[in-house]
Amino acid sequence: MLKPPIQELQTYYKTIRTRRMQLILKVQATTFRGIRDYLDNNGFTELLPPIIGPVTDPGIRGAKQVTIDYYGKEYKVMSSAILYKQMAAASLNKIYFFSPNVRLEPLETATTGRHLVEFVQVDIEEANITYEDAMRTAENLVAHIISYVVDEAAPYFEELGRTLRKFKPPFKKITHKEAVELLRSKGEKVSYYTEIPWEQEEKLSRMFDEPFFIIDYPKGARGFYDMEDDSRPGILRDFDMLYPEGYGEAISGAEREYRYEKVIARMRESGEDPAKYGWYLDMLREGIPPTAGFGIGVERLTRYLCGLSAVWEARPYPKIAGVYSP
Amino acid sequence: MSSTLLKIFFKLFRGSEKIAAARGFIEAYPVDEITQKARRGKEAVFPFGEKEEFGKALLGAPIFEQAPLRYDTLSKVLLVPPLFTPLRLKKMQEILREPVFTDVDTRVEVGGFSSSMPVCIASMGSTDVFNKVSLQVAKAAAEAGIPMGVGENVATVWGYAQRRRASQPCFKERVMTYLQHAEEGKGGVFIQQSVEDAYDELWNKVYSDPDITPYIEKGQVAFEIKLGQGAKPGIGGETFVSRDIALKIRDKYHFDDDPATVVKQVYSRHSAPGTFTADILRSMLRLMKNNYPRCRIWVKAGPYRDVEEVAQIVHEQEAEAMWIDGKEGGTGMSPVIALKDLGLPTLACLQKIKRMRERGLQLDTIVSGRIINGGDVVKSLCMGASAAGMGRPIVVAAYAAGEEGVRRFLEALKMEMQLLISALGKYSIKELGDEDLRAATPELARSLGIKSVYD
Repeated sequence: MLKPPIQELQTYYKTIRTRRMQLILKVQATTFRGIRDYLDNNGFTELLPPIIGPVTDPGIRGAKQVTIDYYGKEYKVMSSAILYKQMAAASLNKIYFFSPNVRLEPLETATTGRHLVEFVQVDIEEANITYEDAMRTAENLVAHIISYVVDEAAPYFEELGRTLRKFKPPFKKITHKEAVELLRSKGEKVSYYTEIPWEQEEKLSRMFDEPFFIIDYPKGARGFYDMEDDSRPGILRDFDMLYPEGYGEAISGAEREYRYEKVIARMRESGEDPAKYGWYLDMLREGIPPTAGFGIGVERLTRYLCGLSAVWEARPYPKIAGVYSP
Repeated sequence: MSSTLLKIFFKLFRGSEKIAAARGFIEAYPVDEITQKARRGKEAVFPFGEKEEFGKALLGAPIFEQAPLRYDTLSKVLLVPPLFTPLRLKKMQEILREPVFTDVDTRVEVGGFSSSMPVCIASMGSTDVFNKVSLQVAKAAAEAGIPMGVGENVATVWGYAQRRRASQPCFKERVMTYLQHAEEGKGGVFIQQSVEDAYDELWNKVYSDPDITPYIEKGQVAFEIKLGQGAKPGIGGETFVSRDIALKIRDKYHFDDDPATVVKQVYSRHSAPGTFTADILRSMLRLMKNNYPRCRIWVKAGPYRDVEEVAQIVHEQEAEAMWIDGKEGGTGMSPVIALKDLGLPTLACLQKIKRMRERGLQLDTIVSGRIINGGDVVKSLCMGASAAGMGRPIVVAAYAAGEEGVRRFLEALKMEMQLLISALGKYSIKELGDEDLRAATPELARSLGIKSVYD
């Protein structure tokens, strides 16, 4: 349990001027360059992200979406732009955007050190690839970012007292089932049917000394857009990448379900009313190419790179569940 | 008709066109029995009116039904005590005196909650008739320490945290009134979500609500997935709403006429029953466990013929309780033909519960559908239910005498249960079993898998 630093948050105009914050934000800016350096040189097109729309990502654990009045209709603030990624990749093939997201997380997340109400993720999507391909993109990207910042931000790291190692892909892959078995063998209570809880995820992450993948989550643990493997019912073609050293989740990704009928059935499984997804379903009915991709949280990445104990140090003007601050 | 009855009659059914409906309700439902308990509490457990006194009446068992039954009900099953009661002897050894009915411990654990008796108040929805008295019911239920449901569409129709109409409590008032009056670790509130509530993400709102969070931490909140209800299995929510409300929710529901273009006083609002398969239900339960790990998960099913299959999945996915509402279950609004012809009667649901128990299914089950008094509750428990659910009796008690009426009704209910259970020579709920029951006819006995009165 990490107590959020209320005073520092409320007088953030002072906090941002500390040497430590300056260093972290310099590393973060270098990280942005590293991300764009890799993606722009590998054929991706950067797009502007959507901020509001009729629907947003429902596949978020227990968090509330923000609804705004849009000329008498309801709009959601993006909790993730997931649905737009398929739309964009169908046109430009390989796309990415820096997407600001808002999730009114449950209060318990205020002390996890890994949740922010407002955060940014880099959303990446490619058409006509499998989730194995998407994982290759993910590991190459992460390896590149680390190598880039280790070289370009060396003086900042030195001042922060952080030693960061470069890694060479491919990264190790374990299935969700294997991850659960590994945790159970250490006496942890985890279910085969749900996501791995944060506390156990951190423990798992400490068992590894380089980034690794958890693949093949059980259906029910994820949103309707993660594709179910036709040959292995109940198993999704998706993945998370975790940082080592206890830093936990880095990336969430999947091959997307793009077949209209399947999506409708999956929406019901997740308790969703298809009526609310009008434009998205119209798009699928008219047909789009299969896509796969992932999102990488910028603040969690910064937290890992700089070796920070909590994400509220990993961005300017952070918002923590339940804390009212600038 | 007593004066109280008349009062309820008018409160419930204002407007002359509704008189016929009111008469129908009072004739078909034991309103008088409930009203007596609401007004006089435990005194009403005995058959004396205000003016009669003990010693002046001669009484015996009622042998008539008011009208022929269309199918078997709990009234065709009797609780039959033995003379030899080894468990009473055990109780006597424990308390060092002859046990009496007040020694019966009615406390149970059900669906992850501790309840002062094996009774839960059914999730009642947004219909005016209940919503008006909902806060009185919430307070009385909390103080009695029994779990209470908040039904579908309350937030959508009456607002989440702010009243849409001055006279009608909103969703959060109903939830918070209960939670603030409940003793720590006693009772709990289960919050239902239907297809339309999903549109508004009610559960997510509740789960991240700072006022409700402390109670979630204490384990006093459950989420109830609605898979149907007794009075209209397979049919979605049906209700009438006024124009001002209809205009606010016209995007989320299907109306007979579009309130934006057609002006009239009331609109008939239809909602979808929701589509389920075994796979859909399984995934939905996993998602619930995944997204709301700190809440209990309940499932409410209508009297479906595949209810045993449903229960198997609910059990496998580790939900805390399954509620089965028999076809006699109450409703704010159902098509007449559904009331008449759809679904399994409550007694048949109990037979399924009994069969599930015998197959070794360890799942808390709650049965509802015309459960009126302590006898109905105890019989349901003997058939294997973990608790019985009540809706209408609570509404009637609230209309008869407000919050106090609900409290008195629950006291009388508890006394009846204690009397019956101690008569069976038992002193805790878990000692009850099908050996305590006898069916009125051999045929019914065979169907239920219990003995008949002639065995």
